[in-house]
Amino acid sequence: MKALTRSQLHEIYYYLRLNRAVDEQLVKLYRQGKVVGGVYSSLGQEAISVGTAWALSPQDFIGPMIRNVGAMIVRGYKPRDIFLQYMARQGGPTAGRDANTHFGDLRRGVVAPISMLGELVPVMAGVALAARLRGEKRVALTYVGDGATSTGPFHEGMNFAAVRKLPILIIVENNRWAYSTPVEKQTALRDIAEKGKAYGIPATIVDGNDVLAVYAATRAAADRARQGGGPALIECKTMRMKGHAEHDDASYVPKEQIEKWRKRDPIARFEKFLFTKRLMTADEKAAIDTRIEKEIREDVAFAEASPFPAVEEAARPVWA
Amino acid sequence: MTISKKPGTTRKPTAPDAATLTRMLYYLKLTREAEYRIERVLYRQGKIVGGVYVGRGQEAIGVGSAIQLKEDDVVLPSHRDFSSFVIRGFRLADVFANWMARADSPNRGRDNTLHIGSLKLGVIPIISPLGATCPVACGVGLVLKRRGRGNVALVHFGEGTSSVGDVHEAMNLAAVMKLPVLFICNNNQYAYSTPTEKQYAVQSLVARGPAYGMPGTSSDGMDVLTVYDTVRRAIARARAGQGPSFLEFKTYRMTGHSAHDAAEYVPKIHLRAGTQRDPIQRLEKFLVARKILTRQRIQELERTINQEIDGAIAEAEARPLPAGETALEGVYCGLDCWWERPSVVRSPLSVAAEAEVRATHNGLRTPDKY
Repeated sequence: MKALTRSQLHEIYYYLRLNRAVDEQLVKLYRQGKVVGGVYSSLGQEAISVGTAWALSPQDFIGPMIRNVGAMIVRGYKPRDIFLQYMARQGGPTAGRDANTHFGDLRRGVVAPISMLGELVPVMAGVALAARLRGEKRVALTYVGDGATSTGPFHEGMNFAAVRKLPILIIVENNRWAYSTPVEKQTALRDIAEKGKAYGIPATIVDGNDVLAVYAATRAAADRARQGGGPALIECKTMRMKGHAEHDDASYVPKEQIEKWRKRDPIARFEKFLFTKRLMTADEKAAIDTRIEKEIREDVAFAEASPFPAVEEAARPVWA
Repeated sequence: MTISKKPGTTRKPTAPDAATLTRMLYYLKLTREAEYRIERVLYRQGKIVGGVYVGRGQEAIGVGSAIQLKEDDVVLPSHRDFSSFVIRGFRLADVFANWMARADSPNRGRDNTLHIGSLKLGVIPIISPLGATCPVACGVGLVLKRRGRGNVALVHFGEGTSSVGDVHEAMNLAAVMKLPVLFICNNNQYAYSTPTEKQYAVQSLVARGPAYGMPGTSSDGMDVLTVYDTVRRAIARARAGQGPSFLEFKTYRMTGHSAHDAAEYVPKIHLRAGTQRDPIQRLEKFLVARKILTRQRIQELERTINQEIDGAIAEAEARPLPAGETALEGVYCGLDCWWERPSVVRSPLSVAAEAEVRATHNGLRTPDKY
């Protein structure tokens, strides 16, 4: 695997920061009542979304979960798309019909998240199979949480992917909490990666808060899958830094656990790495700060000024 | 795929006592003969209609496991585990009557196979969407665990069913909650026409156990002594509160998927290997070599079994078929529904309505013996 160039590293840093900035902005809008429904933060888990998506080729597919907005941004969606979507505006990806992240575009290689977590595994296995039947060298990548690994569809999708040797990567984002269920009550295993042996799928464990480790593992697995080497499971260990969603105060999570993981913040770690290795100067960082601040400001303004869908259009396109 | 002569464990199974061995031979031979009559006589005579599923060649799994159950243990058999029903106490005549859809049968003529159960005997019926009995087994296991009397639940399914999501959810739950459940997988190498190479990408399913955090074994299911010993250890674990186990037993499916499946897709070498490893011949050879039984005694046993089955079939055949007018009875919940018990507060209107129904209702009841 070729070493990443300075500008590639800056790009990864930019996406990490943009992921967090979009997340923070959504929380602000939610508290202002401009976003209704739910806001599911990805605070602390940005390295997984960005590191995995960045390792793919442009023709590959992703099947994100709700905390993988960072992956959708890496694949080409702009902050304004996210804000339009959350604020249910006509110009958003679902024309105001959904106020969350249930959107995608097969032309961009993004399959829309499915709320019934675990279901994306068999779906993306199907996407991978279709690509192979067409003779295309495309890889499918999808995410499951620790909770979703207990679901039936996860099992059926994994087994199917293994039997057919499909080019699919399953990223297990183990953030230690499935709503209020701690991972110790979710599985009797210490490492979810052990499940790979049940299917004959090679599995690796990475530090989910180390963006370069996530990138390297994903890139190696994607290259192998693309050459016909079959599926892979990558368990990324991380921590859910907030509640299940903004409406969950997560009082059941021990404060010490949050503090322990705050010290492992993926963005702070990557910054420290870049500065220590002299791969980024203070000026370069400042330029990225400015760029992100401008982007967020402009895109929020654009989204807030965008019209809502017309009420008369409500029934379109409910029926095919 | 052939079953290697070395099973998953390398230790020689310790054999149970002579009485248990003789009982196991009895049930093996009873199952073989009874299923022969069902699949190759009664079905072909048109006395059994519909789907016919037997477990020829795989009898050791049901026998070697169910024989070890105590009162208040529970078994959730598959359609290949005829012996589990009989060992737990279903009368042969009632089983044949169920197959022949008689009015006086466990399912009162509404079912023609083995979707029969009894909470008293500790048998949960087969659920046709296979895999669904696994989460049910967890529910049973949870009750047994809370009762604290060391009881266990055995749930049977095939290697095809092991790919179903329900099994995954159940095994995970059982491991996390340390339930006293044995997940027994009969790997007979074909799920209808799907061979194991298309079912999973591993060599054996043994890794399914540790993938959930429970022990897993893979053993020769054509040898009832191996089945008995492997199940014995897993039952001991469960009774001691150490939680669930996954047990794969490799067998040869010596029939089609069902009586209406000619199974031309199964290579002859598979059937030859299964014949050579026949579990009944194997046990007979063992018993004769150890001088536990003589060939003469075995022949007497065969005669007894034949008489028993002749009598059971005759008894079942003599029972009437259900009257057409009773077709709707038992479809809607009547007066035996558990939520209709007196402890439930009733309105005067519903009490009056119930009295009226009682006066006119022909009400089907589960036979008291079950």
